[in-house]
This record gives sequence, C-alpha cells and structure tokens, in this order.
Amino acid sequence: MGELFRIFSNRRLLLFLALLLAANGFLFLREQGEKDYGLDLTLPSGGVVVFDGTFSLPEETVDGNAAYGRYLEWLDRVKDLPLEEAAAELEERKEALSNRVSSDDAAEEERLDYVAVNNLLPRIGYLQGYGAYLALIQENKEKMLSFSLFNDAGSFSGRNILKTAEEFEKLEGVKLTLGADGAVEALLSFRLTDYLLLTALLLICLAFLEERKTGLWSVIHATAWGRLRLAINRAGILLLSAAWAVTLFYGADLVLGFSLYGGLGDLGRAVQSVEALGRLPALWTVGGFLIRFLLLRIAAAYFTGLLLWLLLSAVSNAKYAIVVAAGALAAEYGFYTLLPVQSVWNLLKYFNLFTYISLSDLYTNYLNIDVFGFPLGIRGISQLALLPLCLGAAAGCVAVQCRKKPAAGRDLLGRLAMGINRITDKGLTRLGLLGMELHKSLWIQKGIVIAALLIYVTGTLQYTVSVPIATAAERVARQYTALFAGEITPDTFSRMDAAQAELEEKLAAYESAKAAYEAGEMDYAQFAEYVQDSSTAKTSLEGLELVRTRAQELTTLGSEKGFTPWLLDEIPFESVYGPGAQNNQHRAATAALLALTLLLAGSMAYEGQSGMTALLHSTARGRGALLRRKLLLAAMASGFTVGVVYGRELYALATRFSASAWAAPARNLSMLPEFPLNCSVAGWLALLNAYRWFLLFCAGVITLLFSKLAGRMERAYLAATVGLLLPSLLYAYLGVGLFRPLALILPVEAVPLLLPENGAISSALLWGWAVAALGTGSGYLLFQSAGSGAKAPGRLFGRRPRWQPRYLRK
Amino acid sequence: MKLELRNLTKKYGNFTALDRVSITFTEGVYGILGANGAGKSTMMNLLTDNIARTGGQILFNGVDILRLGPRFRRVLGYMPQQQGCYDHMTAQTFLSYMADLKAIPKRRASREIERLLTVTNLTDVRHKKLGGFSGGMKQRVLLAQALLGNPKVVILDEPTAGLDPKERIRIRNFISSMSRRRIILLATHIVSDIESISDEILMMKRGKVVGLDTPAGLLESVASKVKELPCEPYELEWMQERYKVGNVFQRYGETWIRVVGDKLPPIGEFVPDHLTLEDVYLYYLGE
Repeated sequence: MGELFRIFSNRRLLLFLALLLAANGFLFLREQGEKDYGLDLTLPSGGVVVFDGTFSLPEETVDGNAAYGRYLEWLDRVKDLPLEEAAAELEERKEALSNRVSSDDAAEEERLDYVAVNNLLPRIGYLQGYGAYLALIQENKEKMLSFSLFNDAGSFSGRNILKTAEEFEKLEGVKLTLGADGAVEALLSFRLTDYLLLTALLLICLAFLEERKTGLWSVIHATAWGRLRLAINRAGILLLSAAWAVTLFYGADLVLGFSLYGGLGDLGRAVQSVEALGRLPALWTVGGFLIRFLLLRIAAAYFTGLLLWLLLSAVSNAKYAIVVAAGALAAEYGFYTLLPVQSVWNLLKYFNLFTYISLSDLYTNYLNIDVFGFPLGIRGISQLALLPLCLGAAAGCVAVQCRKKPAAGRDLLGRLAMGINRITDKGLTRLGLLGMELHKSLWIQKGIVIAALLIYVTGTLQYTVSVPIATAAERVARQYTALFAGEITPDTFSRMDAAQAELEEKLAAYESAKAAYEAGEMDYAQFAEYVQDSSTAKTSLEGLELVRTRAQELTTLGSEKGFTPWLLDEIPFESVYGPGAQNNQHRAATAALLALTLLLAGSMAYEGQSGMTALLHSTARGRGALLRRKLLLAAMASGFTVGVVYGRELYALATRFSASAWAAPARNLSMLPEFPLNCSVAGWLALLNAYRWFLLFCAGVITLLFSKLAGRMERAYLAATVGLLLPSLLYAYLGVGLFRPLALILPVEAVPLLLPENGAISSALLWGWAVAALGTGSGYLLFQSAGSGAKAPGRLFGRRPRWQPRYLRK
Repeated sequence: MKLELRNLTKKYGNFTALDRVSITFTEGVYGILGANGAGKSTMMNLLTDNIARTGGQILFNGVDILRLGPRFRRVLGYMPQQQGCYDHMTAQTFLSYMADLKAIPKRRASREIERLLTVTNLTDVRHKKLGGFSGGMKQRVLLAQALLGNPKVVILDEPTAGLDPKERIRIRNFISSMSRRRIILLATHIVSDIESISDEILMMKRGKVVGLDTPAGLLESVASKVKELPCEPYELEWMQERYKVGNVFQRYGETWIRVVGDKLPPIGEFVPDHLTLEDVYLYYLGE
C-alpha cells in the first residue's frame, strides 16, 4: 500500500499520465475529424470550366460532422429493413441526388443526403456479401485441394486451408445487421493509444527505479521487505496500473467514439457486422468482443509492463537501462514491421512484443503461421502464451529485484559511455559560450526533441483552406484573372475588350442559329451546340465583367495611393491568409509559441536547479555575457520556429501563387488596401515574418524571465506554458473573449490583425508595441537580476525578490 | 595586492549576518574558522558579489569590487559550499565551460585543465558525467574550476568537506603550494584543514571577527587557558555544565577531560606544550 502511495503520489508522474491521457483524447478526436469520420465526403463534380488545363479547382466536399449526423439519420431509417430493400431504397435515392448535387443551386441538405447514402451503400454491400465470402472460403478449400500443388493435406498449405475453412465454417448462417460501427472501428484503428499506453507503462516502470536515482537503492535493498516482498508488491501494482491505464485510455477512446458515432447502438449484434472484424472466426457479439478485447488488452499491457520493468531493472544504471529498453523495443519493432509475411523468421514478426502492443491486428487479420508444418492461428498462440509469459516475466522481475546488487559488478555500459563522452568532449570543449548554451538547450534540456516534434507537427498542419467559389461566374472570373494577371495597363483592358467581343460573337451566332432553327433551317443537334456555347459565353461574360470591375477599381486605387495596379489571382493568398484560414493560423501560431516556450523555459531554471548560479555569477563572463548569449539563443530559437512553422506556410503559398505575382505591389491584394508601405507581395511577406520573429523573440525573453522566476525546470515549463499559452488557448479554441488581450498567438499570427475589420496596421502595431514592451521589461529584469553593485544580483527595485537562489535564502 | 573589507555589513531583515567587519587581506592563506551560521558564507558571498551588501566596502587594491565588476571577477576563483554543477556534463566539458566563463583563452585553458585534473586526481574520470560523481569527486571538480585561470584571489568555502583523509591532505598541500602571490581565503569548520597551511586564522562568531592572528599567536593566546584533569564518568555532565569541556580521553586507566576557558577548575594540569587549534576554536568560538 505504501509503495502504491509512493508511486501515485508523485506529482510529476501524475502530471505526465494526465497529459498522456489528454493527448490521447485530443488526438483521437482530431484523427476522427481528419478521417472525415470514416466517410467519403466528395460530391460528384460539376460547374463550368471555360479553359482547359490551366489549373484545377478543388474537389467539392461537405462538412464531415454534419455528414455523419445525416449518415446516422439514414442509418436509423434503413437499419430495420431487410438488406435488399434498404439497398434498393438507397440506390434509388442516390441516383436522384446525383443529378441535383452537381448543379450550382443544390441545397446543402441534398449534398449531405448524397454523402450519407453514398457511404451507407458500401456497408450494406459488405453485409450482403458476407455469406458469399464465407461460401467462397469453403469453395476455395475444395478448389485448392484439388490442385496438385496444394492437395497434400500433410503439408502446411494443405493443413492451413483445412484449418481456415474449418474455423470459418462455424460462422455459416451468422446474421449480420446494420448498425453504427464507427466507435468500434475507431477503437481498432487508432493505434496511437497503444503507444501512449506503452509510454504510460514505461513511466510507471521508471517510478519503480526511482530509488536508483535518489541513491536509496542500497538502503532499500538492505531492509527486511526491500527485496522479495517489494518485488511482489510492485508486480501487483503493475497489474493494477495496467488495468487502470487500459480502462482509462481505451475507455476514453470508446466513450469518445460512442459519443461521436451515435451511441452504444446494438451491442448484441454479431461481431462480423463490423466490417473491420469480418475476418474474425468467432461467434461473438460486439459487446462480447469489446469485453474480451479489453481483458486481453489488460493482460497484454501487464506483460508489456513486466517486460519493460525487467529490461530496465536488469541494468544498474537507470539511464543505460532506458537505452537498453529502447534498443530492445526498436529491435522488436523492426521485426514486427520489416520482416516479410512469407519469411521463415515470421515467428519473430508475429510472436512479437508489438503484437501485444498493437493488439487489434489479432482481431482484424486472420493469420496462421507455419510451426513445424502445422498452421497455428496467431491470435490463439498470442492469447495462450500470455499467461506463461506474464508468469515468466514476473518471476524474472522478482529475481532481478532480489538478486541484483546495488553496488556490484562492472559497469560495462558506463565504460562505453565514457568512450563516447571522450569523443563528444573533443567537440564540446571547442565550443564557445553560445555553443555551450545551444548544447545545453538542445541536448541537455532535450530541445532537439522539441525541435523534431515541431518539424513533425508542422508537417501535419494544414496551411490552406478551400476558398468557396459560389457561382459559375466567379469560377470563370478566376480563370480570366489568371489569364490577364500582371500589371494593369491599357493593353490589359484591350485584351479584355477582345475577349468580350469574342464572347459577344458567340451570342450573336446563337441568335442567328436560333432564328435558323426556328425557321427549320437547322436541326436540333446542330442547334444544341450553339445553345451550349451561348450558355458558356453568358457565364464567361459575367465573369469577365467581374474581372474588369476589379481591374478598374485597382487602377483608381493605384492612382489615388500611388502604387502600380496589378491584377492578381487572390485565391491562393486568401486560402492561406484569408478569414477562412483563421483556424489554420491559430494552430500554426499555437505550435510556434508552444515550441518556443518549451525550447527556452528550461534555460535559466537549469542554472538554478543545478545550483550553479552563485558560481556563474562569480566568473567574469557569467553575468551579462552569459545572459546576452541566452538572449541570442532566444533569437535563434525564434528564428528556427518561424522558419519551420511559417516556412511551410510560405511553401504552401508558393506552390499556389504564380511566380510573377510576388513582385506585385502588396496593396493590390483586397486584404491589404490600407497597408502603409508601398512594398511588393514578397516584401510584405518578409515584413510579416520579420514581425512574427520579433514577437516570438519577445515571447522568448518573457519565457526566460518565467524560467528565472520559477527556479526549477518543471515549474519553469509549467509556468511559461500556462503564462504564455493558456490565455491564447482559452481565447482561440474555447472562444473566451475575456482573454483576447492576453492571447499572444494573435500578434504571432499577425495576419488577422491586418484585416481591415480588426483595425489593420494600427492594431498590429499596438500589439507589437505591447509585446515589445513586455519583452523589453523582461529583458531589463533579467539583466537586473544578473547585475552587480547597486544593481546587485537577485535584487530588483531595492527588494529581495522571491526567486533568489536558495543558497542566498536564510 | 590587497583585499580590504571596511565596515562590511549584511543584514537579512532584523538578523545581522555580518556586523561591520573590517579586515585587510594581503598575500597568503587565511583560514576562516567559525561555527555554522557565524557569517563565513555570507562573507564569501559578499566577496564574490553574489549578494547585495547592506553597508561597507570591499576594496581590491583600493578600488571597490562593485566598480571593478568583471575586472575583479577575472582574478577571482570561487568554490561555493554547495556542490552545484551541471550533472549532464563531463568533468572535462564542465571545466572547459568554466574556463570560457572565466575568459581564459582555449589553448591556455586546455593546459590548465590537464594540470588541475592531475592535481585533483580526476584524470581517469574526466570523461564521466558529473551526475555519476561521488560527493568528494564533485568537490574536487569544483576546486579545480576555482583554480582555473591562475586567480589572484581564491575563495574556498569548505573545500575539503566530503573528502577522505588522503584526498584532504593532497588538496591541502596543493593549496599551500599555490599560496604565493595570492590571497587565499579558506572557510571551514574543520580545524585540522587550516592548522598547517594558514598564514593567519580569522575567527568568526555571530557575524563578528573575534580573533585574527597567526596559528602560533592564537595558540600562544590560549597557553594558560587549557587544563587536563581526571574525571569520573558520572561527574562528566556536571563538569560540562560548568566548563568548556573539550576532548574526553583515557589515560592510566582513568577517564580524563580537557577543559578550555578563562574559568578553569582548581585541580588539573596546564598543558602549554600540547595546545592545538581545537583548543583555540573552543576558547574563542565554543559556547
């Protein structure tokens, strides 16, 4: 009980576990949204395309959430019908909707209906075809055995065919029904939970080794209950932890899944009704499957935990133990993913730790492996092996706990590390102060992980949105804009006139053709071509008129404000920076701010935590010079963050924006008519990113102050993240308007502030000044605290501040 | 070369940690003796400008160290009492980093690091992370960093704490050997550490200097203040209540005690030829 309390009263562990759980829930929901709730949201293409091949318009889709709601409504409507009847009704409905949704005036309701029906039909198709699938397995058995190559019933192939057929034979006559399967399918397909659970177990196992770090191992080992009894207690705690962790992580997936995908539904349906479980040869219900899955999940998690504990405890040094555990996991993962299915080593692939980590594969795939010529189901083997494996691993853990001597043995890994350090020392001793600050930040404080995560996360971020094009005329206008893009000169208008004349000619031709057709001089087939041409010409004329109006507006505005008018296709720009892309902007700025905070939060706190402040302050360059290097580090971190996060944004724009448009004056963009500087689009983008860099740098300086105030690393990370990011999250993601003045992501995004409705440049400048003032104030306080004499270290405004190092406190 | 403290005062609220201390240090080794809380570390922190003084001045060659700023810190070597260091760095990298902070050119730093690693007997573990070091090893690394850059003023706060006797002797001898043309301030409450190497000993009690003299002078000052006498075990408590009792030892099968102070028991023998700094410590600093 005491050990259980010790482990679960560790606030850091609890915080990490809570973060993992929160991350699991957040990422689960995000993945469902990204996968469009398992639906195909595309609509049949439609609309007018005047020119060919110059560019493609985005595929039309509907909102995934709304579509799933409609899908459930349709599901409710047809689920009690016989499958043939349901399929017929849906086919009929789909056909009727197909023509409607491709037209411009289709209602949103019709589009949603189309998507719902279009996604229900394959489900019904699967249910209808399941009987045939089972029959095919039996048929294949007969057929394959008749081929000479396979008809040896004594070979693995022959036995495998017989076993497969025998196992699926019992499913004959199983009644599959339609239902909301989304939650179960999401549970099986969301693999991240498996790895987050593994991380949670790793953290719990590391908590077992806490005594090695604190130097208490010898003391505990010398106590009466510090060996066998403690080991047995820990094995019990691990079982309990595995059960809790599985319940929390997978329970969260299920609860979120059920809430997203239409509730519990009918849990008494045959498990094969869920398409992902169609290859599971067991007469279970969906509910029965879920209980079995969770129980096996707990057992597998327990085994995984025991194995991790064994690996970690077998090596004396906690750090090297982590390396060994990571190495073993990497090897297992390598076997699991890289070995081909047909490999003679496939036992290593399937009888693998990752089989127990990614447990859903056992249920979604049917596979027999060759064990001395006999086919053995991988699910059966894995299940049967769990008990002896758990007992063996538990015995191993207990043995290590009892027999491993705290002060014994040669530290071979330690020697290896010394060898590696000898090489790295050669490089490190050549570094200057800035280099060492980089080393501390990136390597010691694990900033490299943050940097790698930032690169990964930005890779998953969306930087563009589809800009809705409401009418066919607007589509055509966009194409004409592309055609006439460039500086607006009299020649531009001449070319427009020429295009207009050409279109008017087509209309005139239509009028003549109409007269001829009415006079009976032309047959309908010929006339229909004129009708089509005139319809296109009318739409094109409307589009052309839109372009002409915009060109005239820009000419007038240019002459008033002194910039060269330029016709630009603004859709790419709008898709990245427009109001519709606000959520993208929020996410990018959040990632940038979070990464910067995490990169810098440890910087000052690390000195305090290491007890180095007094020593550093006693050296010639340990005050101002060191602090300047830290500020330079903040500038570099900001630059890196802007480069990674907003470099991708620029790339997204560059792939859509025509090369010549970069030189156009920025004020030609309808978002920026009031921009005070007469610069090009490229110049504006450079200014925008310089502004973002400056604000991030200021945020970095504020983070350094938080770090100094916190004194310890964990507190620094927490304080800086909460202080700098929480108001932004509350404002941008929960819509709490009260926090807008504190939402640092707004100035980091910068673009929304430049929109005319948000105050344009004055708003951006105001924010800029405010953040710069905070950054400057923070920098001032940092220099004060590192100062000397009257501005003595740790002495601000004549008062002893609370964050003085502990050695100064009495 | 002169380091001068003039009316140096440090107060924490109503508590006076250092009370108008005036003293001049010239070249040589100064042992600073005092019980915990006597003000030794406060003086060290003031000398390294790690805390703000409440009053007074610290002059190095006549100029206030606050005005000298980094110029003073260039000639300063400091080893704090707390074993603070970067656990993730190896001894070699840590010393190189400290050399950089002390503005020592790389090539010179490299030579000095070699020498100091040898002196502190850390050559074999130079590539080991400091986190894996024992307390004594960390102590030696901190001493090595204090001596980097050939500092003119060396401030060592409990430099031999946690070291085994052999290491203590080794370090003590090294400090002694480098005492020429330097001011070395060595704060400790281990009397034997400074007995043999200090040119002068500063006795501190409750933030004040209660004695400053050569070891011989200090021993001389207590020559008639120490007696040894037999004492039955049941009398020991009674004696301790009335006198400053030092060592308790066995002689001729009897229990004997050593008593120090102005007030001594009428019986017993004076021991003018066998005085130690422990007697001095007890006389000046004992409660």
